[in-house]
Amino acid sequence: MDQLFAFIARQRAFILFVALEVLSLWLFFKYNNYPSAVYFNSANYYAGRLMQVQAAATQYMNLGRVNAGLAEENARLHAQLAQLRSQQLTSLNYKADSAVANRFHTLVAKVINNSTSLSNNFLTIDKGTADGVRPGMGVISATGVVGKVKVCSEHFSVLTSVLHSENMVSSKIQRNGEIASAKWDGVSPDLINLLYLSRYKSVKLGDTVVTSDLNSVFPGGVPVGYVRQLKPSADGAFWDIKLRLATDFPNLSYVYVVDNLLKTEQDSLEAEAKK
Amino acid sequence: MTTRTLLNLITWSLVFVTLQVLLFRNLALFHYGFCFVYVATVLMLPFDMGLITAMFIGFGAGLLVDVFYNTPGMHAAATVLVAYLRPFAIRLLMPPRGYEERNEPYISEMGLPWVLTYTALLVLVHHLAVFFLEAANWSLWLPTLAKVGVSTLFTTVVITLLQVFRRS
Repeated sequence: MDQLFAFIARQRAFILFVALEVLSLWLFFKYNNYPSAVYFNSANYYAGRLMQVQAAATQYMNLGRVNAGLAEENARLHAQLAQLRSQQLTSLNYKADSAVANRFHTLVAKVINNSTSLSNNFLTIDKGTADGVRPGMGVISATGVVGKVKVCSEHFSVLTSVLHSENMVSSKIQRNGEIASAKWDGVSPDLINLLYLSRYKSVKLGDTVVTSDLNSVFPGGVPVGYVRQLKPSADGAFWDIKLRLATDFPNLSYVYVVDNLLKTEQDSLEAEAKK
Repeated sequence: MTTRTLLNLITWSLVFVTLQVLLFRNLALFHYGFCFVYVATVLMLPFDMGLITAMFIGFGAGLLVDVFYNTPGMHAAATVLVAYLRPFAIRLLMPPRGYEERNEPYISEMGLPWVLTYTALLVLVHHLAVFFLEAANWSLWLPTLAKVGVSTLFTTVVITLLQVFRRS
């Protein structure tokens, strides 16, 4: 027993080293897998407040870009409005139930912390559970998709951005409706890969890729990106596509949190069908 | 250690962490060069500082930075590693005539080449740990190594410049 104590006394620095490393790595991997620790991230009240102040001080620097983005959104909404008006006259005999047509509600939030250069990127916004934000909601910007809410505190939320290895966005090519998945490869914050599009489907440089209707997180038709590079994949079965992201991540300042009012209903119905 | 040295250490630790959180967090050169200047809180400790105290300081500084980077534990792990390996680096870089009593890792006492080597070596250890933990897989090893290289250079230059500033 004495020898044991003597050993511990001699090696106490090494033992402490191992203990601190185990504690750190445990925190690190636990947080990556189970997003429950709100204390050690920027959804923490004090960290959130500090970053809010910092964002308030720096937001004027990119007002020009924000304006341009809003103008672009306005233009797109106008176009959509016109398209909807014309559709009403000539459309098929389909009419969405009003609860389904109005299922998406949006909430404006300000980005107060944003990373784009890591392999897994997060954003912090200044709205939390008190404003009705809950984990799993989609977040879009004036120009395109942004990410998914991961954890919320009362007044702040942390999102995994589309620039995160866990996020995959179900997408379609706007021109012909072909379905594919957009996933970030961790290299450039301007480019994202479009996966699983068969070599026999039509796609052109410059095509707009938008979110598909096959997901319950984002509304359909939100821009994901524009086809920038295009070549057949090594095995010849798919296209290797790189999109220029629609969202300008480094200069993001205002975003919309999208609440799908019927998500629980859809998810539970689908879960029941699988039983 | 006098109270004055202690106060000096505490003040500069706060300065380094604040700089990290408010300034360098938003700065990335060409998406590859990051500056983790807060490592200097551990690097600037005097040679006779106990290993255990140094590790606790590293852990605290790392965890504080982690809160703002949304990576709980990652910077803490890397900084504790740096604190633990620091005595080995100091022994490795021992001048031929050995260290004099009460030496500190400053340019005024050890000379610029020694400080640059010491800083670059430990910063490299820190950045290897941070970027490989952060990438969490080996498939991106080439871009990750590029990040480590560029960032090590960046951080070393900034820390050394700050030291010049601090002495004057």
